[in-house]
Amino acid sequence: MTRLSTSALTLAYEDRTVVHDLDLAVPDGRVTVIVGPNACGKSTTLRALGRLLKPRRGSVLLDGEALTRLPTKKIAQQIGLLPQTPVAPEAITVADLVARGRQPHQHWWQQWSDADERAVTEAMERTDVAALADRSVDELSGGQRQRVWIAMALAQETELLLLDEPTTYLDIAHQVEVLDLVRQLNHDKDRTVVLVLHDLNQAARYADHLVAMKSGRIVAEGPPAEVVTADLVREVFGLDCVVVPDPVTGSPLIVPGAPWQAGARSGAASDSLSRKAAS
Amino acid sequence: MSTTTAPRVRPAGYSVVRAGRAAFLLHRRAAVVAVSLVVLLAAACLACLCVGESFIAPAEVVRVITGRPSPDELVVGTLRAPRMVVGLLVGAAFGVAGALIQTVARNPLASPDIIGVSQGASALTVGAMTFGVTSYAVLPYLSVLGGLLAALLVYAFAWRGGLHATRFVLIGIGFAIALRSVTTLFMTKGDYLVAQQAQIWMTGSLNGRGWAEAAPLGWTFLILVPFVAWAARAQRTVSMDDDTATALGVRLGRVRLGLVLLGVVLASVATGAAGPVDFVALLAPQIARRVTRTAQIPLLCSALLGAFIVVVADLLARRLFSPTELPVGVLTAAVGAPYLIWLIVRSRTGGNR
Repeated sequence: MTRLSTSALTLAYEDRTVVHDLDLAVPDGRVTVIVGPNACGKSTTLRALGRLLKPRRGSVLLDGEALTRLPTKKIAQQIGLLPQTPVAPEAITVADLVARGRQPHQHWWQQWSDADERAVTEAMERTDVAALADRSVDELSGGQRQRVWIAMALAQETELLLLDEPTTYLDIAHQVEVLDLVRQLNHDKDRTVVLVLHDLNQAARYADHLVAMKSGRIVAEGPPAEVVTADLVREVFGLDCVVVPDPVTGSPLIVPGAPWQAGARSGAASDSLSRKAAS
Repeated sequence: MSTTTAPRVRPAGYSVVRAGRAAFLLHRRAAVVAVSLVVLLAAACLACLCVGESFIAPAEVVRVITGRPSPDELVVGTLRAPRMVVGLLVGAAFGVAGALIQTVARNPLASPDIIGVSQGASALTVGAMTFGVTSYAVLPYLSVLGGLLAALLVYAFAWRGGLHATRFVLIGIGFAIALRSVTTLFMTKGDYLVAQQAQIWMTGSLNGRGWAEAAPLGWTFLILVPFVAWAARAQRTVSMDDDTATALGVRLGRVRLGLVLLGVVLASVATGAAGPVDFVALLAPQIARRVTRTAQIPLLCSALLGAFIVVVADLLARRLFSPTELPVGVLTAAVGAPYLIWLIVRSRTGGNR
């Protein structure tokens, strides 16, 4: 089953077409990860899935209805989205920021309800930021701040959650922490999650459904174990590599080749050859 | 992971005010500040009515306000009160206008007197004055028109598939300078007496403002109150970045346009009544925000603070060099200009925001 899908989606910035005729079905209750080289259109696609970018042609469908025809508040009750570099208002407190995730469920005359309180409390516990509630967002570390933003998106209580490179600017421990949190969320709450990730190994490790994009088109999609092969990595990233099973999860792990070693060896070989010829 | 053990979380510093099915979030510190400002403002108003060329005892002033017969009816009720009311309304309008425009542009520099709204109002008004239109029944409308036109121009030039805050401010400053020279042109070309009248109007003066100016101003603001109430809530979401706000279901384009429009109308109406009282729209919201420590600029406190600044500045302007009266704009500028410089210096050297 799929609630969110695209049909012949073409996306463009002014006169530059970035994504061409994309057909994508996001599987419900799964973690989908979109990967690809820089400027392949992965973030652009995610933005369109979250109606931040209007399609040039084709459409993004939520339960069979084009996003452009749905009121944005209705969409916000179904789809939560965390942009790559969100900006918090100056001097806002953690609890205040997380509470703003409740916006789509509130009205002018109903600015706070028990449901709001429950959702915010739960989101903050789940992301382990409850202890920071009264702190100012400005003074948090990168990892803490990212968890606060995720808490805000969780407080929105949407069935679908889109995250655009949530691990950027984080060190390896915080990257893993965020991705573990995403998996946990999907596992406990059956949330559908779509992530854009830079790191192919992380993508292969955390995805149920992997979508590999290149130049605005899908090159391959499916379970990582089937999709991630040395051939695909060469085709998509132009990188020679060996694919081995991850010793912890068994998911495919990409180990790049070492052309500089090969180059050094062949250089030495030709060197000795030329010396022989000279003597 | 259970939700029963942990204390419930609420946005820090807010209280929930319930009324039937409705529930409102109230920032506690902002509420305390607002109440204190009301007290301060009342004191300033009383001082404003007492002090003048002749001192009138507070008890006598209270008699006049409550409508009881008094020998000082003329001075307090007819001369001082309307001038003070115009000051109050103008200050409040500038405070709210500045708050709204600063919020949308996400820049403390973007107040209506910096980005060309006041200058647009001035240019059209002074232009009309030099062509012989001097009636206060017409001039305020021209001010509003001028302010709106200037804002429209700035908006149109700053818009490039989206509203970029810095571009908005820079283009606004450009238009402000251009419009100021247009005003100067009108004044040098115009009749000497007209130019002098225009000059006083342009520095922002409450001198000679009576009930005739106060009444339309009051009505306009009364009509705008529901819109300001809407804006107070809408501001919350606009203070986030565009993508996050949209993801939260905000119709960003419309909300922003609504907020700017409201701000421009308020600033233009106020300019029409008292001239461009410089820097009030810049100062009031920033001070209010620092005092209340809210994440967005508090509208009510900005309005109260704007009113307070103008009333106090007018009182000082009347008495400081008496019997010579200064236009109130001179005093607000004397306080505002150093603050503006400080803002710019800080944004260059200080944090990344």
